[in-house]
Amino acid sequence: MKVRTEGSSNYEYVSARVRSRKRKLFDEDDYRKLVRMEPSEIARFMEETEYETEMNALGTRHSGVDLVEYALNRNLAKHFDDLLTWAEGPLYDYIVNYLRKFDAWNVKTAVRGVYTDAAAEAVETDLIRTGEFPDRLLDRLVEAGSIEEVAEALSTTIFGDPLAEAMSDFESEGVLVPLENAVDRAFYTHLMDELGRSVPNSPEGLYGEFLEAEIDFRNLRNALRIARSGADIDPAEYHIEGGGLFDPEELRQLATNVDELVERVRASTYGDELATALEELAAADSLVGFERALETALLEYSSKLSNRYPLSVCPVISYVLAKEREVENVRAVARGREAGLDVEEIEAELVII
Amino acid sequence: MMETLELASVVLQDGSGGISGQAAAAIAVGLGALGTGYAQSRIGAAAVGAVAEDDDMFVPGLIFTALPETLIIIAFVTIFLV
Repeated sequence: MKVRTEGSSNYEYVSARVRSRKRKLFDEDDYRKLVRMEPSEIARFMEETEYETEMNALGTRHSGVDLVEYALNRNLAKHFDDLLTWAEGPLYDYIVNYLRKFDAWNVKTAVRGVYTDAAAEAVETDLIRTGEFPDRLLDRLVEAGSIEEVAEALSTTIFGDPLAEAMSDFESEGVLVPLENAVDRAFYTHLMDELGRSVPNSPEGLYGEFLEAEIDFRNLRNALRIARSGADIDPAEYHIEGGGLFDPEELRQLATNVDELVERVRASTYGDELATALEELAAADSLVGFERALETALLEYSSKLSNRYPLSVCPVISYVLAKEREVENVRAVARGREAGLDVEEIEAELVII
Repeated sequence: MMETLELASVVLQDGSGGISGQAAAAIAVGLGALGTGYAQSRIGAAAVGAVAEDDDMFVPGLIFTALPETLIIIAFVTIFLV
């Protein structure tokens, strides 16, 4: 399963390219223009930017907002595949581990496709073809007729066992949540594989720190969502291992009491970074605002790490996050405009740093 | 104490054991060249990466790649000092 590459990492080359690409992402001005455009104008705007090739390639088959969305996904896959082409040595392993995120996405897409009886073609266009899975495996996922077949196809990957275990839950409850959680957790448990607890302030140490923050944020968000929805779910069951902030038991207690949870986070190491997010939560009492603020905090944290240690995997991760954000932002703008939302409403959805 | 001083003065005398001044200069230049090579390999990799993304980075890339050149040029001066 593991792709081992020989030699040492070429951090210099990869971070130079990645930093250059990160600078070319849309900035605040571009977004200000974008949110004021009609959907057709957005498509035209995209044709004049970075996304030109993808827009032209997909233009014959799709149109409107769908076109924008597929072009975004394809462009994302192209850029992340580039990262894997450039990187060598341990750097490659780190990036592959992180980009398994898209393997997880693809697995979820396939599972949802089967669940909703979507046509293979529709599933196919929603895949993001990057990450560790070879194209052949993705094609098998697309063609799978049942969830069992999907799990079967994945049996040799990291997602195989967790999916098989979650199958009984899925069958008894008939909802996708157990399966999707199994996929997410498989991704996060293997994320730290390469690392171990290494020296602080080394590239590996910082990478570990960042991953820990990401997992903590995710646990926090899950806990809040469960607390808010008032659903009768045990938050500890959805706890992701590897974070430094909560253990399952604590999460269970805190999820019932939002004020205590907020206090706990404020006192933790993330207190400073999440200060704005917590204020947002206290003031507006809305999860949406809090989640945006969490995303922003994570983005800022990753940029900070990439400046603190330029010759490490941090600039790459920071770029991956920023690019993902851009894709999600543009999608939000396009979908929002299509649905006729106000400029202010869309701007509230964007995460810009 | 006296003996140590005597020993030191013998060792430090020109040409008495150890290596000659020219050999020392050669080592200095050689090490300087190694250092330059090491620095340039890493800067060069970054510069090529930057140029691949953006052609305008060619001149800054070239300048930064050439900067460690100063190391070897200064090391080169030692040859004329011995």
